[in-house]
Amino acid sequence: MARAAALLVALVLAWLLGQTAAPEAAFRSTALAIGVALVAAALVGRIAERIGLPRVTGYLVFGLLCGPSIANIITRPMARELQIVNGLAVTLIAFVAGLEMNLRRLAPRLTVIARVGGVTILLTYLMIFVAVWTAWPWLRIAPGFTGIHRLAASALLTALVASFSPTVSIAIVAEARAAGPFTELTLAIVILADLVLILAFTLIMQFVRVTFGTAAHVSLFAGVTWEIFGSFAFGALAGGVLALYLAHIGREVAIVVLGFCVVIAGVAEHFQLEPLMAALAAGLVVENLAPSAGDVVKEGVERSALPVLVVFFAAAGASLQLDALATLGWIALGVAAARTGAIWISARLGRAAAGLSDEVTAMTWMALVSQAGVTLGLTLIVAAEFPGWGTTIETLMLALIALHQLIGPVLYRAALARAGEIGRQAGTPTALMMPQSPSGAAR
Amino acid sequence: MTLFARRSAALGLSPAIVPVSTWLVLGFALGPRVLDVLSSDALAHLDAAVSVALGTLGVFVGLALVPRARNAVPILGAALVESGFAVAIVSAAAAFLLAARHVPLTSPLPLIAISLGAAAGASGAGAFSQGNLLGEDHAMHIADLDDVLPIAVAALAAGFVDQQSGVSWIAAVAEPIAIGAACGTIGLLLFERTTGEAERAVFVLGVLALIGGACAFAGVSPLLGGVSAGLFWRNVPGRADTVILDDLRKFQHPLVVLLVVVAGAQTILDPLPLFLFAIFVVFRLTGKVIGGAAAARMVPTLAGEALGAYLVSPGVMGIAIALNLQQIAPSDGRAVVSAIAFGTLVFEVVSALVVPAEPA
Repeated sequence: MARAAALLVALVLAWLLGQTAAPEAAFRSTALAIGVALVAAALVGRIAERIGLPRVTGYLVFGLLCGPSIANIITRPMARELQIVNGLAVTLIAFVAGLEMNLRRLAPRLTVIARVGGVTILLTYLMIFVAVWTAWPWLRIAPGFTGIHRLAASALLTALVASFSPTVSIAIVAEARAAGPFTELTLAIVILADLVLILAFTLIMQFVRVTFGTAAHVSLFAGVTWEIFGSFAFGALAGGVLALYLAHIGREVAIVVLGFCVVIAGVAEHFQLEPLMAALAAGLVVENLAPSAGDVVKEGVERSALPVLVVFFAAAGASLQLDALATLGWIALGVAAARTGAIWISARLGRAAAGLSDEVTAMTWMALVSQAGVTLGLTLIVAAEFPGWGTTIETLMLALIALHQLIGPVLYRAALARAGEIGRQAGTPTALMMPQSPSGAAR
Repeated sequence: MTLFARRSAALGLSPAIVPVSTWLVLGFALGPRVLDVLSSDALAHLDAAVSVALGTLGVFVGLALVPRARNAVPILGAALVESGFAVAIVSAAAAFLLAARHVPLTSPLPLIAISLGAAAGASGAGAFSQGNLLGEDHAMHIADLDDVLPIAVAALAAGFVDQQSGVSWIAAVAEPIAIGAACGTIGLLLFERTTGEAERAVFVLGVLALIGGACAFAGVSPLLGGVSAGLFWRNVPGRADTVILDDLRKFQHPLVVLLVVVAGAQTILDPLPLFLFAIFVVFRLTGKVIGGAAAARMVPTLAGEALGAYLVSPGVMGIAIALNLQQIAPSDGRAVVSAIAFGTLVFEVVSALVVPAEPA
């Protein structure tokens, strides 16, 4: 009751301020938006947990309900301002994922993971491409495209539609304190898929540029190599430095980890590296080269990560564009259904290719439905580079992201629960997770 | 006595283990005029963090407003008298000299003069004290409480910004108080009902961000909003004040350092800031000495005339008031921030030299 009252006061305060503020106040809305998001989204996240949903879904739903699409308590400028934490949150989440990947522990299962992941990803791309190519005239993107143009545009849309969300998957795992073979398998697949996506998107983009005559003088392979290997190298180096700091100084770990993630996000953006990969590599290095330091970091992250991630997911919810979903309606639903079907079939075939037949791995597809920031970032690149049909792709992808961001976390958490891996992380709860209620831990 | 032989004020608002001046110089070096690490864009992005830090600083002051000593009422009275002299003398001098010299300002003259006076009224709580002053606890308490009047006066001065659109002076004070009370209510309902440290940190940070953010959004003083929330938590039943104080201690230094570094980065060496700096230094010193002497008469345990010298360091609050002004009046506010930054450097040196005499 007290929590509900607090939520009400926070929302009424924000609403009143929004009604009475001067127009120029929009430029001063960052701290207010963060405050509202922290207090209210955290409370809604708890309500979500009570009814068996991931907290992340609660944060997203709060953002959606209070965002510009519905109640407009978090106005569009405020939602934009909230995204100030995006870079930090993505690196923090990837860093946590790296910390959870102990290669010595994973080594015996690497072949199986590679087989399931490789087949699943490859088949997902293929099936979605066939579906997109076939349905192209009805997608309302550019029905007039034929031949090579249709091929190029279909390939580009395939890369976007087939993408998964490592950020959301890692967040769900961390929030649920999940651990076990299914968790490791699914996390490895989404991370592998992210690498494939970056590679595929870069190659396809270059193909599309050449096809549409907008190719710049860019060394394609140099760009891809830099983005992938440069990110890993930089992340590994940064992780090494952090491990040294932890080993020899080890003070103010929570603040240092936050600062570390800010630096990784900033440097990656400046040098056009992939922050997610860099942070993942940093986490991997800390966990595998200095496991005791990894434990210290996990404790530090527990103290510092939650506020950042609450704001991150509330901001993501506030930026979900329901109007895009309304615009494309049945088309978006059709593409989403085709995507889910392709993922389901691919994951089953991938499992078969690896010789797995258990009930648990049959749920792998449920971990692959989410779409979020990475997809959105790539979509914006397409829209910026190809105004016209690229903008229509953007509308379609925004609708798909809205759908998948709401459905994906629920499916993945349900799969983790059915696999019996929720609450099995050893030691103290890390990162995103608040201390769980006994009922929450058991779910 | 060395520059580093210092101790924290009762509020713990000391910027870690080095004086304010060090962080000011560092901020200036990192700012757009030297290394440009803290570029203009970066400073614009930090504005939200500054609002939250200002609100938090206000919470500290509000939490300190509790009768802790037997002489609580005389001490509060002494603090009001001591800071009142400094505020009045500097404000009056600034208003007269700015008008007499026809200094071009983009904001209303009373806003700048009163804000400069308000920044002058705050004290740094014996930043260089060696603990040898008779009744030093009382002196430190006075230094804590002498921030209240300047914060209220600065908030009131904000009423000058928007006279044409009818924002009254009453609203400039009432609005942050109401926001502080609303945020205080949220904190009261949440702080004692968390399930762990991580969740409590989310709520504490959220409420602080709400105080600073809501006040900044409404164009009123986050400092006064924070004072209101702090007072609320101190005076309602329950442990909200203890909870917030425990958590605030964990990030008070980063917040204070942030304010001081940002102020250093904003510093400019133009004629207006230098003119304001001269007024600030000369008349603040006068005001503090006169105010200190008057206030010491009200608290028998204090060592008379030494109080003014003891309170000469402006500490962080003067900078906070100036940064608050800059948020509502950016152009002239920056000149005031610069003047206060220079003044703080000077007063830190002065307070290191003018150590209160050890009683016989």
